[in-house]
Amino acid sequence: MTVADQPSFKARADAALADRTLKTAIERTTGTAERKRAAALSTFPEFEAARSRGKAIKDHVIANLDHYLETFERNAVASGARVHWAATDEEARDIVVRLCIEAGAKRVTRSKSMLGEEIGLPQALADAGIERVETDLAEHIIQLAGEHPSHIIWPAMHRTREQVAELFKADHVPAPDAEDPASMVQSARRVLREKFLSADVGISGANFLIADTGATCTVTNEGNAELTTTPPRVHIVTAGIEKLVPSTAHAFALLRLLVRSATGGELTQYTTFHCGPKRSGDADGPEEMHIVLVDNGRSTMIADEFREMLRCIRCGACMNHCVVYRQIGGHAYGGTYPGPMGAALTPVLDGLARSRDLAFACTMNGRCAEVCPVKIPLPTLLRAWRVRSWNDGLEKGVASAAVGAWAAVARRPGLYRLVSGAGVGILRLIGTTGWIKSLPFVGGWTKYRDLPAPSGGTFMARYKAERGKEAAK
Amino acid sequence: MSARDRILAAVRAGLGSRPQAPSDIEAEAASLLAEPDEIRPRPVDTTLVEAFCTKAGAVGTTIDRVTDLDAVPAAVERYLAAQGLPPSVAVQPDPALTGLGWEGVATHAAIAPDEAAAVGLAGWGIAEGGSIVIHSAPDSPILLAFLPVHHIVVLHTDRILPHLEDYAATLSEGGAVPRNAVLITGPSGTTDIEGSYVRGAHGPGFVHVILVAGEVR
Amino acid sequence: MSPASGPRVGLFVTCLVDAMRPQIAFATLHLLEEAGCIVEVPQKQTCCGQPAWNSGDNRDAAALARQVIAAFEPYDYLVAPSGSCAGTIAHYPELLGEDPVWGPRASALAAKTHEVLSFLVDVLGHVPTGQRLEASATYHDSCSGLRELGVHDQPRRLLAAVDGLELRPLEGDNVCCGFGGTFCIKYPAISNAIVGEKAAAIEATGADLLLAGDLGCLMNMAGKLNRNGSKVRCFHTVEILAGGGDGPAIGEPQ
Repeated sequence: MTVADQPSFKARADAALADRTLKTAIERTTGTAERKRAAALSTFPEFEAARSRGKAIKDHVIANLDHYLETFERNAVASGARVHWAATDEEARDIVVRLCIEAGAKRVTRSKSMLGEEIGLPQALADAGIERVETDLAEHIIQLAGEHPSHIIWPAMHRTREQVAELFKADHVPAPDAEDPASMVQSARRVLREKFLSADVGISGANFLIADTGATCTVTNEGNAELTTTPPRVHIVTAGIEKLVPSTAHAFALLRLLVRSATGGELTQYTTFHCGPKRSGDADGPEEMHIVLVDNGRSTMIADEFREMLRCIRCGACMNHCVVYRQIGGHAYGGTYPGPMGAALTPVLDGLARSRDLAFACTMNGRCAEVCPVKIPLPTLLRAWRVRSWNDGLEKGVASAAVGAWAAVARRPGLYRLVSGAGVGILRLIGTTGWIKSLPFVGGWTKYRDLPAPSGGTFMARYKAERGKEAAK
Repeated sequence: MSARDRILAAVRAGLGSRPQAPSDIEAEAASLLAEPDEIRPRPVDTTLVEAFCTKAGAVGTTIDRVTDLDAVPAAVERYLAAQGLPPSVAVQPDPALTGLGWEGVATHAAIAPDEAAAVGLAGWGIAEGGSIVIHSAPDSPILLAFLPVHHIVVLHTDRILPHLEDYAATLSEGGAVPRNAVLITGPSGTTDIEGSYVRGAHGPGFVHVILVAGEVR
Repeated sequence: MSPASGPRVGLFVTCLVDAMRPQIAFATLHLLEEAGCIVEVPQKQTCCGQPAWNSGDNRDAAALARQVIAAFEPYDYLVAPSGSCAGTIAHYPELLGEDPVWGPRASALAAKTHEVLSFLVDVLGHVPTGQRLEASATYHDSCSGLRELGVHDQPRRLLAAVDGLELRPLEGDNVCCGFGGTFCIKYPAISNAIVGEKAAAIEATGADLLLAGDLGCLMNMAGKLNRNGSKVRCFHTVEILAGGGDGPAIGEPQ
């Protein structure tokens, strides 16, 4: 999905703000996630040291990415897997669709992968006339709703249980027994079971690519990844090139950070390493395993200030702790990845001109960086996009013009004293009661809140008057 | 130019020239795993077995303890009865299990899509998170751990490792890495509807470990 | 520490305090002098450049940074009643780092720049005593001070020394109020939703006063509370510490 052909960011945000049901849904999921993460960290005093190590591991991999890509490829091929390379999202889609067609696939099962969303795989499979069955419960929900994920860990977190019940009642045969989450989960289990076993191809992502074994690693809580990858004849993995780690032990070091940061658990229920296709005599498993290594802009990030974003392990903690995300949810961001990490990544994927609002729709409060398990300085990256946007001449609004005018005055202290003194005088005339209820140019402020009037003349003027010119050097 | 060459060229262009030899890279990677106790949780109990049981229990895995492998069929029978299930299970086609005396329980090899209960052998237990590990093999179907509602797992106490790294070390020591290695940490679950936890999504809703004292036969 | 031997401090007033609430700067001045500092107010100061910095306008931000550096480098310290402005000055080395002349000067100034509450406690080891205020208060941690400068315990320690003042915990005290500088003007509806929740959390404490260390955040929260008809009165922490708690709060007529 790209941000093209959508209403403006502000229109999307306004629509989200007006949707009180959405707010309820967001708060239920992110609030729970925030509490559980805090509880998990309270019993893991090693977290800070683990974070530093996790950052170092990812930095080491990126600094030697060519080495690890080649090592991984060599070992994956030795395991019997076939490795494909895709420089762009289009190349990645084409490879996966071609593999499905070559496998004669009528039905494919898919285990949740944000990379699959990033490269537009759901639409590509539909265009090729291949039945796609999403097996992650949340992806199943949004497939029924015809939507895109609104969160990278809880793709359907924008939907309340009542809304999920409506979708399931309309689609599931037999319908769910009741509207509580447990009954609905059972219903999805019933409906999807037969589809797992009859699929021709299973498509998964990867949380880690293990260089020294050539294995891919998936982590899930539902068990849908293994049911997606085991029964079909063909297993296709799509993974970003930044997912590499040197070894299984390095993956574990990152896994401890990932799970605690994402769900507040210690480990996911299932951590599975997939190393090649079915071996001679194996009781089950796919006859073919294909791994599609996807660049799609990642290699360009290595050389610029967004390199640090390649550390991201997609835990979602930044969005769970973001004041903006918690008000507008994921869809308003317009790209595949929402929240702070999405705001940093979407301009790479969709272009800055179409996503420039994302970097600005941030209060720069820094909580995302504070919770990031691999210490990505997200506010710094978002400001870097602001600089690019400013330098590219994309910031043409009134607010930006005002910033320029302000700076021009602020660079001349004498003029500044005159202007600030006059401005304070005017505001004091308007706000004789102490509060200003409405004011042009800052209508965005006074539409929602009152503006306190200046409490007196400027400090600089009063200081001069009170202490005399000598004190004011 | 192939996509592979384009990607590697772009990566190398981004990285600039680096004199690092592969052996230096490997040494640096290894150094990032030094002092593992600084970055992992401390054991929760004094013995490995107790630590495993505590953590497994915390994630919803139930545990029965028996003195030797011959006691497993009776333990399975007990579990099925306690769960109100008929005395019938799918059994992993590993001779160590199929060779036991299953007098009280009907056993079969095929795993039905809606299998009520299946019994398998764990390769390892990991105390850190209360995980059990299964490896794919000719006598170890992966679906045995995913299709049943009740996954009954036999684990020998001397196969319990302290930490995840200890399990990773067994992979590099043992040579061949299995096609599938699955770490199972509690029953299947989901929080996809409003973040509220529901047990038993696609995989088993119940994981029951029969802990066998002593060595693997 | 005798006044003659105390450190020379350049008071960075901040443009917002200069225009909107001078008593914050007077309170800061008072506290610093009481702690033995020789305080001066460089007249060449205007704004730290944060609006430009936050807008991605590096050219204007750098020009203002050079102006601040030139005005404040003669002093032992730059002290500001704002974590946000002090935090911006701490970013000057990023802005000017590649300039062989200004880069080192930026680093030197950043190293001696402090937010006033942390300066009192961490650098001067000074906790003002003898203030009395019979009131209950809750405290919001402004994000820049909290996350960029580590201002958390210091204001609580200072406020604990005010006799009669009862501090009540604020749910989500470390969560942004939605001000965000130009953010609140560019995305007013989102900002409003955020400050609406903050105002509700403040009201839920039942405290008489809301205190914080940054005027931007305070104006945002005070403005929302007043629009909601709240009775909570808002002050900068230094005002309370300097004995201004019985004077007019933010938005109250003088």
